[in-house]
Amino acid sequence: MLKNTRKTLYLFYFVAPALLLYTVFMLIPTIGGMFYSITDWNGLNRNYNFVGFANFIEAIKEDPDFLNSLWFTLKYVVVMVVLQNALALLLAVFIESRTRFKGFFRTVFFMPNMISVIISAFMWTFVFTTVLPQLAEKTMMTFLDQSWIGDPRFSFFSIVIVSLWNGVGYMMIIYLAGLQGVPQSLKEAAVIDGANPFQQFRHITLPMITHAITICFFLTLNGAFKVFEVVFGLTGGGPGRATQVITMNIYEEAFSNNFRYGYASAKSVILFVIVLIITLIQIRITKRNEVEA
Amino acid sequence: MKKTWKVGVSALMAVLLLAGCGANNGNTNTGTTGEGSASGKTVTLKMFIGLPRFKDQFDKYIDQFVAKQKAEKNIDVKVQLEMPSSDNASQILKTRLASNDAPDIYSIHAINEIPSFYRAGYLEDLSNQPFVDRLLDSVKPAVTIDNKIVALPLETQSWGYLYNKKIFNDLNLKVPTTLSEMKQVVETLQKNNIAPFELAYKEAWIPQLFLPLNVGAQISAGNKDFIERMNKNEGSFTEMKSMFDIIDLVNANGTPKALEAGGDDGAAAFANGKAAMWVQGPWYAETILKANPDIDFGIAPLPIDDNPDHTLINLGASTSLVVSPTSKNKEVALDFLNYMLDDKDSSALFESLKFDPVIKSHTYETYPWVKDAQVYVKENKAYRDPSIPQAVKDEVGKGLQSYFSKQMSQDDVLKALDKAWKDYNKVNKQ
Repeated sequence: MLKNTRKTLYLFYFVAPALLLYTVFMLIPTIGGMFYSITDWNGLNRNYNFVGFANFIEAIKEDPDFLNSLWFTLKYVVVMVVLQNALALLLAVFIESRTRFKGFFRTVFFMPNMISVIISAFMWTFVFTTVLPQLAEKTMMTFLDQSWIGDPRFSFFSIVIVSLWNGVGYMMIIYLAGLQGVPQSLKEAAVIDGANPFQQFRHITLPMITHAITICFFLTLNGAFKVFEVVFGLTGGGPGRATQVITMNIYEEAFSNNFRYGYASAKSVILFVIVLIITLIQIRITKRNEVEA
Repeated sequence: MKKTWKVGVSALMAVLLLAGCGANNGNTNTGTTGEGSASGKTVTLKMFIGLPRFKDQFDKYIDQFVAKQKAEKNIDVKVQLEMPSSDNASQILKTRLASNDAPDIYSIHAINEIPSFYRAGYLEDLSNQPFVDRLLDSVKPAVTIDNKIVALPLETQSWGYLYNKKIFNDLNLKVPTTLSEMKQVVETLQKNNIAPFELAYKEAWIPQLFLPLNVGAQISAGNKDFIERMNKNEGSFTEMKSMFDIIDLVNANGTPKALEAGGDDGAAAFANGKAAMWVQGPWYAETILKANPDIDFGIAPLPIDDNPDHTLINLGASTSLVVSPTSKNKEVALDFLNYMLDDKDSSALFESLKFDPVIKSHTYETYPWVKDAQVYVKENKAYRDPSIPQAVKDEVGKGLQSYFSKQMSQDDVLKALDKAWKDYNKVNKQ
């Protein structure tokens, strides 16, 4: 008994530094944010009033910009989760099926992930505004000469393209690791039973990599909800607020729009709750489908 | 024994970790406590000025001030000068103020920030300081609130739109004084296949410039109490609807792909003669000259209607110095402020900063476009940059982007502006 408490005490000593940092830089600010969400603090004044749930009610009922940005973010999340995972899985299967140059392809597709998101956004701005129009001029492919980031009809796709370019590599690596963990014996058994490649993939590979799918869905879902840099670098949320995502709406509210810290905190709490609920549901569903070899 | 060791080591590690944070705190604390009042021997003055590109100039000027204080009052002044980039300055400053760690002297934006800082009680009344008498009358309104002068204006600028003098001369064009004349100029330019206006709307603050230009001109054209009424929720931007006359003219006669061009792209295009005019201020002069050192351009007031008396230049102040009311070394801080506009020494400083003159004895040679604008100011053809809340300016930038991409109508934009100002009033009511 005594030995056990001592052991826990030692364990505590080991995690203490990390726990301290976590508390100071994560836990306290999070609780602080929740606290400010029920005040009308403007980030400058020394005093503030408690307003209860007024901020939350205003965000949901009287703030079309917030709801629009929420809607835009949801669209982005759906498109990104589907495309990012489909593409990453496709690439992983393609690379895994090759006998030569595996390392080369892995590196090539992973490389964009090493570039910081904001820099790739600026790189792509150059591609969209300068390279594509010139290409259109030289090759007569006039459909390329569009206002890719200035026209709200196209800018959504531009944002998706850049995000995919940047993020697919990371998911691909996770899927590759999952694919390598599929036991060869199961595949051989399936071949002997007469399964075609598609059936093999559907009934052997896919069930065996569901843990990778769980992780990738979680990461893409989470990342897509919190997207900021790509949109900031490409369109800045513009023109107007046509491509404003929810994090950007919060940033604007807190730092440029009247400095309504309290109100912005309330919006952050709403985002937090949405992400929490959706990822919990997602993890529960994908976990249920996981199998052991 | 061994176990005590382990406990000791981990405890030590934790302490070291904390010490890392503590050391920093220690440093800043020595600053706040200072060393007694101005009557003592040594005084530490904390300054916070968001103009990092002028660090050398300020360092030199502060050294002169320190020498002067030693000679005249036998006070050893130690200055801690902090110059964050202007993007973050305002946020850093607000954090300081909120945590009761105000610098003795700090810089704020005269038009945008004075009202909220004044109401929060962060500005010392400077009305009785000697430098006030030296200020040019045209500059004073920008730093006045409730009939008190609360800031020292450093950076002032007069602006409207920029025009390419070579293109204007080649086509024998005169600077238009009314909206109809502007339409004729636009027509001539179009006939000669020159884009009349540079449009760079990717960054929302550039289309935003239309608002201060129009509101300021319309206020001096007769709608005198617009700002006051808006602050009391009694006005509406529908009164300003005619601002779309000039906005539509500019939007319809500009360079293509406006929503993809940022400020620097616009400056480069304008510098290379891609367009004859650009609704923009002289703060882009350096960038323009970098893109084309030979360009000859001027500043002119933007016409809003057909009355030439309503075609006025915008006179604004941005970076201004203020003194914290909680400063422990207020006397020295005020001495420094007066020295900033010293009759003898400040001319050289302002010239090296390339700022416009703000006191009567500033007689140094300025840029040609500054001289252009000063002509309008001297003829009293200028108005004070209207005090529009930052939130409304942000809103109009986004609104005009949406208007340009046809997602919002004129009425939508005006409605959004009314709402933004009402929200501002709600938040800032004390």
